[in-house]
Amino acid sequence: MAKKKQILYPVLFMIILTVVYTFLLAFINESSADIIQRQQEIRVQRSVLYTLGLIDSTDAALSDTEIQQLFDASIAVKEDTSGTYGTYYAYLKDGTPAGYVFPFTGNGLWGSISGYIAFSPAVDTILGIDFTSHSETPGLGGRIDEAWFKEQFRGLSVSGDNPIVYRPSEGGNVDAITGATLTSNSVSAIVNQMIKETQTFAEGAAL
Amino acid sequence: MSEWIRVLKNGIYKDNPVFRQILGICSSLAVTNLLANSLVMGVGLMFVTAFSSFTVSLLRTMTPKHIRMMVQTLIISAYVIMLDIFLKAYMPSMSKALGPYVGLIITNCIIMGRAEAFAQKNKPLISFFDGLIMGLGYTLVLLVIAFFRELLGFGSLFGIQVLGDQWVNWTLMIMPPGAFFMLGIVIWVSYRLFPHEDDKSQGKAGAKA
Repeated sequence: MAKKKQILYPVLFMIILTVVYTFLLAFINESSADIIQRQQEIRVQRSVLYTLGLIDSTDAALSDTEIQQLFDASIAVKEDTSGTYGTYYAYLKDGTPAGYVFPFTGNGLWGSISGYIAFSPAVDTILGIDFTSHSETPGLGGRIDEAWFKEQFRGLSVSGDNPIVYRPSEGGNVDAITGATLTSNSVSAIVNQMIKETQTFAEGAAL
Repeated sequence: MSEWIRVLKNGIYKDNPVFRQILGICSSLAVTNLLANSLVMGVGLMFVTAFSSFTVSLLRTMTPKHIRMMVQTLIISAYVIMLDIFLKAYMPSMSKALGPYVGLIITNCIIMGRAEAFAQKNKPLISFFDGLIMGLGYTLVLLVIAFFRELLGFGSLFGIQVLGDQWVNWTLMIMPPGAFFMLGIVIWVSYRLFPHEDDKSQGKAGAKA
C-alpha cells in the first residue's frame, strides 16, 4: 500500500496507532489506579503497625483487610499543620496516646533512606523503626532491612545530644552492621536528627 | 512445524539472545542478585517481547517502512507500561525490588531486535512464539546467573536459606562485579557446549534472522 515515501499515510498511521494505544493505556491506568493507591496505603499501614510493635514484621501473614481493621482500631491519622512532617500517626490505647509514628527521610550512602519511627508520647523512648525505601548495597548496608537491626531500636530510651551510639564505643546501645560503616553512620545520624526534631516538635505541638 | 522447532532451538541455545547475540546484558547484570527478581524480570520480558512481536507482525503489511522504528518503539513502550502498572497493582514488593528496571525493559535490545529481525518478516503467530522463546532464552540465562549469585552471595535460593550458618556470604557476588564474572563464565561455558557453525569462519554470531 505505502511502498513509496508518502507524507499523509505515515502521519495518519502514526496518529491512529498512537490514539489507540493511548486510550488503551489510559483505560488500564484508570482502572488500576485505585488498586495501586490501596497497595501503597497498606504498605504504610504495615510499617506504622510494625514500628509500634503491633505486628511482628511488615510481611506479617495478615490479609490487607485485617491490617486495615487493626490500623483503624488503634491508629489516629494526624496532620501536622506546621508542615514539618505532613502526616503523622498517633497510637491510642484505651483512648490515651501510647505512641506517635513519624515519617523520616535522610541521606544514606548511595541515596536517601526513608521510613517510619515510633516514639513514646514523651519522646523519651524509641518504640520501633522501619525503613520503607533505600538504595544501600544489597547484603551490606541493605541489611538495615533485617529484623535484628531494626529490633535493636525497640524500647531504646533516648536522651542527650547523640542518643544512638554504636557499640563498642562508650555508652553504645546499638550494634552497627559489619562491613557497612557508612550506612550505619547514616542511620544513626538520621535517627539522632529525628529525635532532636521530634522533641522540639513535641514541645511546640503539645502531643 | 519444523519452523516452530527451529525458532525454539534458536531462542534457547543456537541464537540465544544473551550468550549468542549479547543483547539485554545491562538488565541481566542488574537484576540477577536474587532468583525471584530474575524470574519476574524474565517473565515480564517474555510478555513484552511476545506481544510486541505479535503486534509488529500484525501491522507489518500496513506499516510504512521508513517509520517502522517509531511504530515498534510505540508498541513496545505500551506493553512495558502495562507490565509496570500490573506489577505495581498486584506485586508491589516485586515492583519495588525491580525499581527502574521494569521501565527500562523498553531499552532491552532483545525486543527491538526480534521485532526488526523476525516479526517484520513473519506471520503473527510464529512471531509471538519467537518473542516468547527469545524471552525464555533470556530468562533461563538470568536464572542460571541468579542461581549462583544468590547461592554464593546470600546462601539462599528463592529466599530460602539452603547453606548453613557457617557459610560465609560472598558479598562480591551480590554486587555488580559478581554479575560480570558470572556472565563471562556463562558465555564461556555455553560457547564450549554449543559450538556455532559460524565460529570457524570468524563470522559474527547472531545477526541472522
